[in-house]
Amino acid sequence: MVDSLVENKPKKKKQPDLEKLYPRLKFLIVDDFESFRSSLRLMLSSFGAVHVDIAYSAEDALEKCRFNFYDIILCDFNLGPGKNGQQVLEALRANKRLKHIHLFIMVTAETAKDVVLGAREYQPDAYIAKPITRTVLEERLGQLVIQQRELRAINKEIDLENHSKAISLCIEKLTDKSRYTSWCHQTLGQLYLKVGDTQSAINLYNSVIAKREVPWALLGLAHAQLKNLDYQQACDNFNAALKLNPYMVEAYDGLTSCYEALNQTQKAQSALETAVEMSPRMVLRHEKLGKICQKNQDIERASESFRKAIKYGEHSIHEKADNYLNLGRCLSEQSDGDFSAEGKAMASEAISVLEELTHKFSIDESACLNATLIEARILKGQNNEEAAKDKLHKAECMIEDENLSPDVGIELAKTLYSLDEQDRAEELLIDLANKFSHEPEVLAQIESQLDEPESLTNKKQAKKLNKAGIELFEQGNLSAAAESFKEALSHTPRHAALNLNLVQVITKLYREEPDSNLLDLASSSLKQIKHIPEQHNQYKRLRYLEKQLNKLQSNSTQKTGV
Amino acid sequence: MAHDNQPDFSMIIASAVHDMKNSLSMLLHSVDQMYEELPNDIKQKSNATIVKYEAERVNSYLVQLLGLYRLQNQLLSLHIDEYFVSDLLDEQSAHYTPILTDKDIDLNIDCDANLSWYFDREIILGVLNNALNNASRYTKSVIEIASYTENDNLVIEIHDDGEGYPDNLLQASPGEVINNINFQTGSTSLGIYFAEMVTKLHTQNGKTGSISLSNGGRHGGGVFSVRLP
Repeated sequence: MVDSLVENKPKKKKQPDLEKLYPRLKFLIVDDFESFRSSLRLMLSSFGAVHVDIAYSAEDALEKCRFNFYDIILCDFNLGPGKNGQQVLEALRANKRLKHIHLFIMVTAETAKDVVLGAREYQPDAYIAKPITRTVLEERLGQLVIQQRELRAINKEIDLENHSKAISLCIEKLTDKSRYTSWCHQTLGQLYLKVGDTQSAINLYNSVIAKREVPWALLGLAHAQLKNLDYQQACDNFNAALKLNPYMVEAYDGLTSCYEALNQTQKAQSALETAVEMSPRMVLRHEKLGKICQKNQDIERASESFRKAIKYGEHSIHEKADNYLNLGRCLSEQSDGDFSAEGKAMASEAISVLEELTHKFSIDESACLNATLIEARILKGQNNEEAAKDKLHKAECMIEDENLSPDVGIELAKTLYSLDEQDRAEELLIDLANKFSHEPEVLAQIESQLDEPESLTNKKQAKKLNKAGIELFEQGNLSAAAESFKEALSHTPRHAALNLNLVQVITKLYREEPDSNLLDLASSSLKQIKHIPEQHNQYKRLRYLEKQLNKLQSNSTQKTGV
Repeated sequence: MAHDNQPDFSMIIASAVHDMKNSLSMLLHSVDQMYEELPNDIKQKSNATIVKYEAERVNSYLVQLLGLYRLQNQLLSLHIDEYFVSDLLDEQSAHYTPILTDKDIDLNIDCDANLSWYFDREIILGVLNNALNNASRYTKSVIEIASYTENDNLVIEIHDDGEGYPDNLLQASPGEVINNINFQTGSTSLGIYFAEMVTKLHTQNGKTGSISLSNGGRHGGGVFSVRLP
């Protein structure tokens, strides 16, 4: 009955060698329903497939893939309790059990976009919607098998990471103006980006976009621009791609990188939050969001993110000691000095998280050391002075002074501060600064510790007020913002960024209400942080605001005629 | 008006439709399986293709209902990408091969194998499915699918040699097929309504997709055409 269709298609020649291809391919069918599995198997055999394996669950599928590579995997999206088809795909890609030369076909009961497109970063090679009938499968699979064969040479080089060879094969393929032009363009763009040839990538994407604004080309262009440090343009193109396809999660990742580079960390956080909402199981994204939230002093969100990074990372290749430590740090800050039931709960959560870490990563000495140091601070934060000192002592016994790593060093300093050993903390930090003077990142961390030697409770209060001030400033409520920063400074008077925040608000506020008291307040704030050295991350801002303030001061003296 | 504590009826329908679709999918599957197992001489005599055809028809309605629900609740967004038109046509007509063979109807596809265009695959498949469904019901001996580009538009036409569309549908001015659908007469033409709604979502350079109905065409019957910018 299929023959009549073939005869009627004069322009498209049916590939006669499909019958020869099927027997050579290894198939895996993954479905939790017996009837679907057997009928799919029946269909495949009728096309000529000989080697067909069956998996009845996600675990079964992963197990089968551990020992075999399959040319084509037909996987149902909905696999009952446990992992779904998308997660099977992610696990296979992550474990390198699915190469570019292989095909992963997602079988979905609903139109693909509902469930699947939300988490599309690991894309299957094709979707097939249920109900699957023999004729439809034959047609669709036939197209895919032929495509797989046509592109095999290129995919093989990509699998071998011979990128330049793959590039030349793509270019060669493009010259025969085959039906795989679009595929070649997409692949070529990605390869250019991989080898760092951003200019070729930009040219390619622009030529595609000139014909039609397709989301993948806009996304690729934006990535190339990001690599070229053209953040603004990259932002625009990520947004343009999202306008065409709001489900393009990768575009939010791109936006996050742009905003981070532009130092707009609030925007970075909200872009990443959107991505996380759309695709909630990506461990690395939670981890990154946690770090950005920490930077934004949004400790509660940071905790939440690290919690999820730990949860979804369990048993995966993304399981990391750092996520446990960071969650411990966040909870330690949140619970510090909070003796309510909630505070106690957070402290005990922190302790158990850190204990889990020492259990799971017992061979990672420095992680375990950090964990012990954080535990000391948590105990101190709950007024359990004795136990805190014990922990500190235990940690110090483990530390060998000679090769103290900067991260353990800084953790130790934090704990010393918290246990009221300010002198030792400062001595340690200065020591570290000398040792690692050539490592700007370490220096920056040391600085921020030296900046804020006040007790953690003060710091926490100051952070809250600082955040509130920034929000008020963004809303344009300048005088309230100034009040908030002033109050924050009463907790951490020598904090560089905080002082500069106040000065910045004042320079703006002064234009609305030219009160000379404001200028005095600003100058005294600047005096507070005159000591910061040139390599301090706030130094440029200090110089800039100094100039701004000088201008305002000279204007005001002219006006009053003094 | 919905009262506060009464659930939204359209949502109930939508989830019911969703379940029905899943059941139907199982049903279709089983019929397919049963059919494959039949000896050839019984295959010919069985009504399996009719069962399959009607089930496909119901399935296509359910898909459209869900689509309309999403459209109304702004849950439907397009995923435009570049696709080979002939792949799409082949795939969609494959659904109808058994029933058409059974009814002795020829199906021709006139489309350059390398013609590609930009659209939402699932949505256009749905539109084609409905049009083919209609055509296979009303045609006498032939269905022809023709696709080509014209003035920066992709055109897909489905020609048949049946009686053609009734006047009330034909009289619609372009882009207003919806207004000529009478929900009271029982002939809802839901498929055409859906096709029009989702085709309109395809826009490019200020141009909007459209559908149109006419009579005559290559085989003297009805012509359903989709235009995508």
